[in-house]
Amino acid sequence: MSYELGVKSLDIIVCVKSVPITTEAELIPDKTRKSVILDNIPFDINEWDEYALEEAIRLKERFGGNVTVISVSSRDIDEVILKCLAKGADRAIKVVDRSIMEYDAYIIARILHSIIKNMKYDLILCGAQASDDGYALVGVMLASLLRIPYVTMVKRLELINGSLRTIRELEEGLEEIVEVELPALLTIQTGINEPRYASIMAMRRARQKEIVAFDLKSINLAEGDFDGWIRIQEFFTPEKKKECIMLQGDMDEITTKVVEILRQRGILK
Amino acid sequence: MKMYSKVFLEKEELKVLKGLNFNFCIQCGKCTASCPMFLRTKLNPRTLVRKTLYLVSQLKTHPPLSISDIDGVWDCTTCNTCTIQCPRDVKPMDIIISFREIFIERGNIPPTISKALENIYKFSNPFGLSSTKRAEWARDLNIKKPSKESKTDLLYFAGCITSYDNRAQNIARSLAMLLKNLEIDFSILAENENCCGSEVYSLGERGLFEVIMGKNIECFQQYKIDKIVTTCPHCFNTFKNRYKLNNMEILHSTQLLSDLIDKGKINFSRRMEKKIAFHDPCYLGKHNNIFEEPRKILENIPGVTLLELEHSRKNSLCCGGGGGRTWYETTGEISRPSEDRIKEAIDVGAEILAVACPFCLLELEDAVKRMEYENRLQVLDIVEIIFRSLLSEL
Repeated sequence: MSYELGVKSLDIIVCVKSVPITTEAELIPDKTRKSVILDNIPFDINEWDEYALEEAIRLKERFGGNVTVISVSSRDIDEVILKCLAKGADRAIKVVDRSIMEYDAYIIARILHSIIKNMKYDLILCGAQASDDGYALVGVMLASLLRIPYVTMVKRLELINGSLRTIRELEEGLEEIVEVELPALLTIQTGINEPRYASIMAMRRARQKEIVAFDLKSINLAEGDFDGWIRIQEFFTPEKKKECIMLQGDMDEITTKVVEILRQRGILK
Repeated sequence: MKMYSKVFLEKEELKVLKGLNFNFCIQCGKCTASCPMFLRTKLNPRTLVRKTLYLVSQLKTHPPLSISDIDGVWDCTTCNTCTIQCPRDVKPMDIIISFREIFIERGNIPPTISKALENIYKFSNPFGLSSTKRAEWARDLNIKKPSKESKTDLLYFAGCITSYDNRAQNIARSLAMLLKNLEIDFSILAENENCCGSEVYSLGERGLFEVIMGKNIECFQQYKIDKIVTTCPHCFNTFKNRYKLNNMEILHSTQLLSDLIDKGKINFSRRMEKKIAFHDPCYLGKHNNIFEEPRKILENIPGVTLLELEHSRKNSLCCGGGGGRTWYETTGEISRPSEDRIKEAIDVGAEILAVACPFCLLELEDAVKRMEYENRLQVLDIVEIIFRSLLSEL
């Protein structure tokens, strides 16, 4: 029996975040020391979310249905959304507000919950974590608020007669199999698939697709919901304790420098 | 790599292949016989042209051909040999680029190529390095940047590989120091320089290529630039043949330097007793017919014995680094084309293998190291050779 039997179509929601690409950037705390300076640093879709989106699109291609991308962001998110739509998402919902920068995972999950609770869905996919803050909290908090089951760190999934068999990554090559009934939320680990490329032409064409913008003020959160659980005290660069010096020059010059350093430190006499 | 849905060509995709003379093909196989990647990879230009005809026309095959039968397109170095060799004016290289375009639009491309393209879009270079580091090669050289107020006489466009690769940076440094020494006024765009888009075009990402071209043309106009020199034949070819640049002179460094020799501005007073063979970079020779200038430069250096490799000029062998191949790991590759080239250089007894392209420099130098010929053969760009013969210790 094919494991695809029993599933007619899937409505999938993917939560995506726009994150700074900091691999090559020098991060410096700003004046308040509560944040870092992100000027001139390019932003892109969070890597984990890109894998979650790819998984959603593959499920859609197999079973039919719809993929909706949702993003709650403190800065312009259009490029990331167009990329998601270009790859195959059907529609996008965005909540963009400067104040979101100060919000923690709980408030983000609350905002997402207030939108998603009114939507029809079978599956919600989130990245296992975000590359900027790395909390890995929004997905599980959102599932708890929606009162649906969740599985974290999913590296493989199969659909069997309307329930979902997920394989979680544990340590030392060990895997755990967890079965959940739909609707459910999964947080997706990188490497679960090979995300497809979104061409510039496809991104241009994606402008035709539906993008719904929600005003943060129009989202009726209960009193206290905008009170976060986490407050950042300070960003700082850790004190340098060990240093790696790269010696330049030809073999003779490098050897001379090494001997000099070893003498200075009393290792060679 | 998995295929996503669509097995056959869609209407829009057929348009991409329109106007490519694949129906002129007589299946003579000259393209395949001359292809540097044939036998090393799955690429076979002749069968690809044949399959294109069946995919596009109403002709039927059994079993039916599908898009997954089009393989090897990412192995092409875009050296242009197939197109030059074709007696029927079919352009297999253009057909390959068009198939790449179809795969790109389907999102179905090797992940390393996808990463390079995304980096070019985000960072204006394929390595994903910050643009603030683009002119690090020039840090101590005090080279001026163009001004928006006055006209720029000559712009040196270094290109991505030359700007960021530690070894290739020496080409840029050598040219800059030579021009300064010859008191030639020039500027560099430094952190405002963008990728030229050559590999983006070859990889079939037409949308991104248009974005890059628009950005660069706007930048050239802003700084009133009407003369550009490049050390990279890929940048040279892109500006000269792909951009629609009116009234702008585009020169490769070998053309500029050969012209300076003609005008008597470069006088080689020191001897350089070396046997030098010249490797024709595809984007300089096969794409632009520049064969004489590099040889003339080398012949002008007193003491230099210029040697010809077994395959030279239009029959030159590709180094294997073009067309986005730098970012693509081939499976089932027997040997690298660069190693065949090094064997030719060793066979003619060359002490220096001269190149005029940063891609060739890196590919061939790597091959020399892999083959452990470091004590017998040195790979140098012509600009570096002139610099050595004029300004540095021999």
